Amino acid sequence: MSSYSELIKNFEKIRAYMREFYVYGFKSREEYDQKSARSYDDERRRIESWLGDYMSFIRTPEGKTTFISIDSRVSHHNPFYKALKAKSFTDGDITLHFILFDILHSPEVVLSLPELLEKLDEYLSEFEHPMVFDESTVRKKLKEYIAQGIIIAEKEGKRLFYRRADDLVLPDITDALSFYSEISPCGVVGSFLLDKQEQKRDYFSFKHHYITSAIDSNVLAMLFHAMHQKSAVTVTNLSRRSNEPRKNRIIPLRIFISVQSGRQHLLAYQPELNTIKSFRIDYLSDVKIEEPSPCFDELRARLDNMQGKMWGVTTKQNRHGEDHTEQVSFTIKVTENEEHIVQRLEREKRIGRIEQLDENTYRFTATIYDTSEMIPWIRTFICRITDLHFSNHSLENQFKKDIKAMYRMYGIEEVEA
Amino acid sequence: MIFNEIYSAYYNTVAKIISSILKGDGDEKSLSRIVCENAFGESILSVLPALKSQKWQLIKADGSTPIKQIPTMPLTLVQKQWLKAISLDPRMSLFGITLNGLEETDPLFTAEDYLIYDQYSDGDPYEDKQYQKHFQTILYALKHEKNLKIEMINRKGRLVYSRCVPKRLEYSEKDDKFRLVTCGCPFIRTINIARITKCKLYNGDTEISSPEPERKTETLTLKISDKRNTLERCMLHFAHFEKRAEKVKDHYLLHLCFSQDDERELVIRVLSFGPTVEVVAPEAFRTKMIEKLKSQKSCELL
Repeated sequence: MSSYSELIKNFEKIRAYMREFYVYGFKSREEYDQKSARSYDDERRRIESWLGDYMSFIRTPEGKTTFISIDSRVSHHNPFYKALKAKSFTDGDITLHFILFDILHSPEVVLSLPELLEKLDEYLSEFEHPMVFDESTVRKKLKEYIAQGIIIAEKEGKRLFYRRADDLVLPDITDALSFYSEISPCGVVGSFLLDKQEQKRDYFSFKHHYITSAIDSNVLAMLFHAMHQKSAVTVTNLSRRSNEPRKNRIIPLRIFISVQSGRQHLLAYQPELNTIKSFRIDYLSDVKIEEPSPCFDELRARLDNMQGKMWGVTTKQNRHGEDHTEQVSFTIKVTENEEHIVQRLEREKRIGRIEQLDENTYRFTATIYDTSEMIPWIRTFICRITDLHFSNHSLENQFKKDIKAMYRMYGIEEVEA
Repeated sequence: MIFNEIYSAYYNTVAKIISSILKGDGDEKSLSRIVCENAFGESILSVLPALKSQKWQLIKADGSTPIKQIPTMPLTLVQKQWLKAISLDPRMSLFGITLNGLEETDPLFTAEDYLIYDQYSDGDPYEDKQYQKHFQTILYALKHEKNLKIEMINRKGRLVYSRCVPKRLEYSEKDDKFRLVTCGCPFIRTINIARITKCKLYNGDTEISSPEPERKTETLTLKISDKRNTLERCMLHFAHFEKRAEKVKDHYLLHLCFSQDDERELVIRVLSFGPTVEVVAPEAFRTKMIEKLKSQKSCELL
């Protein structure tokens, strides 16, 4: 039986729990039916160990509920990054790491594998029961570090020599790191760099700050790599609503990030459907980079063209690349001192156009793939919508029915008998 | 690639422990403090025991270490790629620094690789030299605990002044704007950097009080019915607040703590969910929803 550790080997297991505890947080232990009770207890204990004060518990008739509550406006650093700093390792890994970098303490120290092994033994001989590392273990570790870019291998004749990579001389970048580690894609990398800084300065705070995407950083970094290589990938796609994970082979084209919901989507080309569609990044795992695609540039240009009709992440094209679009138009009234409402329209519209109909009336019109994506935004103008037309009539009817339902919900209109 | 032990809290903690021993500060108390400050809640149970028992052969029985140099590691490829990526961002000019040595490094991502599709379009002018100068003066003041004298145009278009203690820079990704949170000036607490016309360090004699007034907060309770995927959308949308959710029969209750200054914005955000989210409390918030709906009714849309 393996003993509990606060470190983890596989990030996927904990990713789902963290999201459940943070985003939802109303499930009791018994409702986590997919995993064993032991697994639940271990994962909960780990998250508590990493996030400490942010974890809360309440007792309900259904049982004990665990949730994570974070006011991201107050917290200067994303607490979820801690999960990405909890990778497990072997006793040999950590021992080898510190001794290897002590032997190769400067880029001028260049050694062959046998020389490294000899020096390694010298270090370990100071212990009562010295660890023994064979040649293949050390070679494998060096190979890992070469891939990480921290060790350089150079051939001289037939022999390979190893040295540490050159250090980058950086100016004081603490402030830039504090900022970008929170707002940049894969910001956790900035957090890794901040961990090495001597000075800690917290001059930045963040409003409307969604932090959940931190736990998708590994997937996101792989997708960026694939895009950089213009390569296809295979991914496992498992949504909250489906029980079976699906394997997809797709060509990643662009990451779409929402700063109003914290969701991140991948817009990718799916060859078997000849279509560009969106995939939620928090549903993706196990990204494997495949061969480069000769069509990448062409597909990205196709996506560029489509973006003029996308309000969010939905696209609607048939197999032949023909658009299926809808028309949206709505009119609002503004009074004398409400220029800020017109400014709101201007700054919040992502596509479409605004025309002034008379002194107090403005109309917004757009051609888009999916009217339903725009509806939440249109609702933010409730109190001043005077006219509204959707070419998708069922959505127009639904919109109007919803407003009636809200009148009833707040007692403005009687509930019909 | 990112989830790797070389970035782990344990490796960082062990590096700090070795450094401390090399600097002659290897007593139990100091080492325990390093673990508590740099690792996780339960790490104290594993890090020092693993070193002491020589499972990790880095500290000898006498408490010394065979390691001769303060542990360091060069930047990894991903770290360099990420730095290159942020160096291409227009906001980087605000920090007045240039990252040299990354000429040969490919960025982890470029502006072509991602799109923030719902950010407001009237973000701050990061490439404006005057804006950059104001930002850097503010950052300097924050770093060196200096007071500021600021001249700016307020919302109503009037020129106003503030002598203040800068507290922090708050950035909103949605608005793409920086705001300076201050104290000491009774009328102005938050200043949009883009509205500043002059910004100087204040070395005058007038004393400015520095305690930051407490943020006034309230709890908003929303009743969520799980139709049209509202539960997920709503929980994600409000995820950045301090909050608690509970299941009650066929619906859910979400209690979230919000700043009173943000009530107007929050009313709009709740409205965006339509009839699947209802304000239960506080009553004043519910009244504002009712007022909006009454005004809508007078528009005779239906």
